[in-house]
Amino acid sequence: MVVRPYVEELKYLEKINDHCWRIKKGFQPNMNVEGVFYVNSRLEKLMLEELKNSCRPGAVGGFLPGVKQIANVAALPGIVGRSIGLPDIHSGYGFAIGNMAAFDMDDPLSVVSPGGVGFDINCGVRLLRTNLYEKDVQPVKEQLAQSLFDHIPVGVGSKGIIPMNARDLEEALEMGMDWSLREGYVWAEDKEHCEEYGRMLSADPAKVSMRAKKRGLPQLGTLGAGNHYAEIQVVDEIYDKWSASKMGIEEKGQVVVMIHSGSRGFGHQVATDALVQMEKAMKRDKIETNDRQLACARINSVEGQDYLKAMAAAANFAWVNRSSMTFLTRQAFAKMFNTTPDDLDMHVIYDVSHNIAKVENHIVDGRERKLLVHRKGSTRAFPPHHPLIPVDYQLTGQPVLVGGTMGTCSYVLTGTERGMQETFGSTCHGAGRALSRAKSRRNLDYKEVLDKLEQIGIAIRVASPKLVMEEAPEAYKDVTDVVDTCHAAGISKKCIKMRPIAVIKG
Amino acid sequence: MEVEFSKENFLLPEMKYEYLDHTADVQLHGWGSTLQEAFEQCGVAMFGYMTELDYVSVESCYEIEAKGDDIEGLLFHFLDELLFLFSAEPFLVCKKLEITKFDLDNFEIVCRCYGEPFELGKHPQGTEVKAITYSAMQVVQDVEHSHYEVFVIIDI
Repeated sequence: MVVRPYVEELKYLEKINDHCWRIKKGFQPNMNVEGVFYVNSRLEKLMLEELKNSCRPGAVGGFLPGVKQIANVAALPGIVGRSIGLPDIHSGYGFAIGNMAAFDMDDPLSVVSPGGVGFDINCGVRLLRTNLYEKDVQPVKEQLAQSLFDHIPVGVGSKGIIPMNARDLEEALEMGMDWSLREGYVWAEDKEHCEEYGRMLSADPAKVSMRAKKRGLPQLGTLGAGNHYAEIQVVDEIYDKWSASKMGIEEKGQVVVMIHSGSRGFGHQVATDALVQMEKAMKRDKIETNDRQLACARINSVEGQDYLKAMAAAANFAWVNRSSMTFLTRQAFAKMFNTTPDDLDMHVIYDVSHNIAKVENHIVDGRERKLLVHRKGSTRAFPPHHPLIPVDYQLTGQPVLVGGTMGTCSYVLTGTERGMQETFGSTCHGAGRALSRAKSRRNLDYKEVLDKLEQIGIAIRVASPKLVMEEAPEAYKDVTDVVDTCHAAGISKKCIKMRPIAVIKG
Repeated sequence: MEVEFSKENFLLPEMKYEYLDHTADVQLHGWGSTLQEAFEQCGVAMFGYMTELDYVSVESCYEIEAKGDDIEGLLFHFLDELLFLFSAEPFLVCKKLEITKFDLDNFEIVCRCYGEPFELGKHPQGTEVKAITYSAMQVVQDVEHSHYEVFVIIDI
């Protein structure tokens, strides 16, 4: 890594407008393209502070700031356009979380990088609507939270309750949500409202290690821990009434359920296995990167293809996982209100993937090109009329689900044409961490955090007390800042704001 | 593989590990008077993040093997094996690790892992470890003062 004094570093950064910065070539060695990041004045401070802190020549044991990581990604072979940092960006493994990058599929030197997808493959957010209103749920809020907590296995060491053997798993890996549909866990129309219709056809379970399958089997249908959650939310504000009504959201006070989870131990192991394989491939093919963590392989190499097929299997695992929890959520609601999920109108509004690599066509320099788009902590946000979004959203643009943090609000955005041109149809994914986990645990008090949530009327059920501090709203950037920046920059458009009334966490 | 062990004269090691700061993840820091001990401590540290070890009793013992291409690779695979021991059958939480073979020429480890299967209700749920990473991994060997340290960032 190049270590320069902070003032020198700043010469490579240029503020283009109020919410966008350019990273010039030379900021890191061998940059093939420029970098860019989206921030408002508050997020900008966090971003530059992180850079400033790393500008201590001779320091050891530190980690790369997000802005350096964007530049390192810009140095990967085959990258086109720009390496893009979204407003919720923070330092991650190889790629920053909140970094997206596209690689030319027709360039034989182009690479695929598991670090550009993340360990939690196809981690994503699903939003279910209901026809209930806050006044219906408030009186039974605590019971409903408890019921959800009892239905959905959460936290470290919890096991799935959906009956599953090794053969079922193989089928689920191949079929994704088609498996859930066949087994009766979801409704046919749920699939329509998922990216890829809940199934990546390129999945090949044979490319997945035994170890990944063994880790995955007991965890299917579990929420997980960390920043994963299930939340009962209330519509707090509608910015775009017409688009909201297309999603079945009619007015303020309507109750929705948000589920944030991924591919669990299965995806984590697929990523780990691929990183080990790719280290070898890099030596063999002499691929040079600025950072050892940016392990990658040529898209057309055996390692590259194997990873993409295993990644697709993990993506399918994640969809089945979120579908299983959708089933459990519907059951919990139906029991509580003594009716059926159908009568509660518990349809999936949409399901997004924010840790994934996909083959997509985009216009680059006036020409249509086939690209491998990596989105790590970034959500696809396709504009109206795009062929890959469902019929119901053809006129609104793809719904983008942005989860907040425990106790803060969440948003639904829609994709825009501008986003398609500037960011390969990508936008933010959440709040993004600001405080480290260890620091949160030292500085925040468990009881205080819980009391605060109770004061603002949020029922909470959490498996691990430690996690309450780590995941406290104070540990994150303000999701409203993040979303407002995306809206102001025009890369997505605000549609609905929700606030939580009950939170279930690992 | 499960192996026999005797509870007589069974001693728990003292704690020689800590958790360091990292924005999204956590860094494990283990140390000891031998490199072997630093490895063992680092492994126990990982289990300590998943649950509270005070609630864990030693009921069974499993033996694992790990191999690497270099010392960092060995540490990586050693921890990955331990994570696997927890994530699938036998879902073991370890309170003590005892490396019985520590071959730094061929980078091979054989380790006895003492603990019991994770049980909801008995063991408090901590944070889930997604993966081991090479990120800022350091193995410090101060042979002269018999002081060894390892640093590993785990993805959570």
